[in-house]
Amino acid sequence: METHSQVRARAFVKVWTAFVLLAIYLPIICGALAGLSKGRYFGFPIRSFSTEWWDRTLASLEIQSLVQNSLLIAFIVTLISVVFAFFGALAFARYDWRGRKLFQKAILLPVFFPQPVLGLALLLWFNALGINPSWQTAVVAHLVWIVPVVTLVIAIQVYSFDPTLEEAARDLGASRWFILREVTLPILWPGIWSGALFAFLLSWGNFPLSLYTAGVDSTIPKWLYSKMVAGYSPMVPALGTMSTLSAIVVLLAGGLVITLVRRRRADA
Amino acid sequence: MSLAMSSPTPPDDTRKTDDAVLPVTAPVLQLVGVRKIFGDLAAVDGINVDIKEGEFVTIVGPSGSGKTTLLRMLAGMESPSEGYITLRGELINDMPADKRPTCLVFQSLALFPHKTVGENIEFPLKVRKMPAAERKARALELMRLVRLPEHYYSKNVMRCSGGEKQRVALARAFAYDPDVLFFDEPLSALDYKLKKALEKELKDLHRESGKTFVYITHSLEEAMVMSDRVGVMSRGRLVQIGTPEEIYTKPATRFVAEFFGELNSFDVRRDSQGGWILDDGRPIVVAPTGEAIGDTVTVIVRPEIMRFVTGPSTADNLITGKIYNEYSLGSRMQYQVHAGDKVYLVEAARAAAPGLSSGDNVTIGWDARDAIVVGG
Repeated sequence: METHSQVRARAFVKVWTAFVLLAIYLPIICGALAGLSKGRYFGFPIRSFSTEWWDRTLASLEIQSLVQNSLLIAFIVTLISVVFAFFGALAFARYDWRGRKLFQKAILLPVFFPQPVLGLALLLWFNALGINPSWQTAVVAHLVWIVPVVTLVIAIQVYSFDPTLEEAARDLGASRWFILREVTLPILWPGIWSGALFAFLLSWGNFPLSLYTAGVDSTIPKWLYSKMVAGYSPMVPALGTMSTLSAIVVLLAGGLVITLVRRRRADA
Repeated sequence: MSLAMSSPTPPDDTRKTDDAVLPVTAPVLQLVGVRKIFGDLAAVDGINVDIKEGEFVTIVGPSGSGKTTLLRMLAGMESPSEGYITLRGELINDMPADKRPTCLVFQSLALFPHKTVGENIEFPLKVRKMPAAERKARALELMRLVRLPEHYYSKNVMRCSGGEKQRVALARAFAYDPDVLFFDEPLSALDYKLKKALEKELKDLHRESGKTFVYITHSLEEAMVMSDRVGVMSRGRLVQIGTPEEIYTKPATRFVAEFFGELNSFDVRRDSQGGWILDDGRPIVVAPTGEAIGDTVTVIVRPEIMRFVTGPSTADNLITGKIYNEYSLGSRMQYQVHAGDKVYLVEAARAAAPGLSSGDNVTIGWDARDAIVVGG
């Protein structure tokens, strides 16, 4: 038997949940709809729908090069940041060493630094060193911000790792390399995989760092911004929607891999 | 002819002859003055012990006594700060764990959670690059040895029960084929009944394999069941080492005696006439010892030695008091007897229980030769 107050509480939870979901997703849905509008200019309600702007976006050579740039940067950032962050996470959470406390704090700093300021500071440095900003410098800038985040993501997994497993493996005659391959990496891989997904998505969607440090090379977020400032067309929301959808696909595929591997192991 | 003459005797043969001269009872492990210092704390403070081939030695001690540190030095996970550890005569102080022909079964067992039972057991064989088919055959053989059913081979190790995990850990250690196996109280997390069963199985396994076992635990009961020799550790030192029988009947110190659980103890002093007196001045009969006048010793009377003195029987030492409480210990009964402000424990087999209950006035006592006398 439910009491009246329980019924009321349950109703309230439902209404509240619906409100939060609406607040989060309604603007995104409106943005997505704007890309399907037939008209040239942004306005609600949308009078007639068409896939014209999606088609034009998909056909645009300029946008193809944006996607290539964004993908290239995100891939390289993912690869490098996972390697750095894996060893960083071991230093963060696994080994006790002098200066570990300082390292744990220092690695967090870039995360709390406002990204536009970080981007500007990096740009000044690149200038001072005589480096021309391009997509390569954007990779460096992304790494400064993303490596700490990925380090934290992997460190969470490392905290739950039992170091005696490595000791036991050593005791059974295994070399460091064999232990890394057979014990440490297979146990930590869900954290590493999550870290990689984070790295990819954070780089893919990053605007402030790319704005300052990519130079003449443009990325999807940079292009979206510049077109909103000047030269709007429904290609902006169309590309925005595509970018979001591809991020969702990456995320779902990543989650699926984890679930499948976990299930296969649990079934044995 | 000349060819045969010129070929020298292979040096290997000579060495073999030398080996054969060695007595079979030579210690497999020898510790000389082993110390381990962390900061200004000596976790292990001067251990000397010889462990013979095929022996089952258990080191018992409370937490913080240094027994785990000692074991980690033997297994190669720590190096001693001072002293020598030799394995079959070879100094192994700084030989890393992966190079030692020894294997440790961890308290947490340290099974690889992402591997199956078979993969766990095969781990040391994979390290040695043994072909997969051979590995599997060996793993199945070891699973039979530790009484694991064959179909567990491809089972996820985390789905095994506590007892099964113990067997996997054991099989994995055996797969390494070590000269000496170390155990860091692997049975401590199990329930009583399973623990008892596994203790006996471990002892059987020890006999069947003929390997040297060094086991550490905080439970003397566990040590007694399994071991050929028991060493008792306290504050980094080995207080006593001997057969379970010696440890029980001739504890070197009060600390060792107390390890077996509850006991009655009396601090006594030798008076000027050469007799023994308690702190309150009452005389007490103590079996002859070599102590001088003025020396103090502790007389230990185990609860099963303390008995009710009734009717015509008598004892060297008598105490009168009142039964305060009685406890059933299964096959035995324990009585708590209050006499003045002191409490004494008396244990009797249930079959021979005197039919006493709380509130009864009783006389309890013991004979001097049954008590244990240890230094102050």
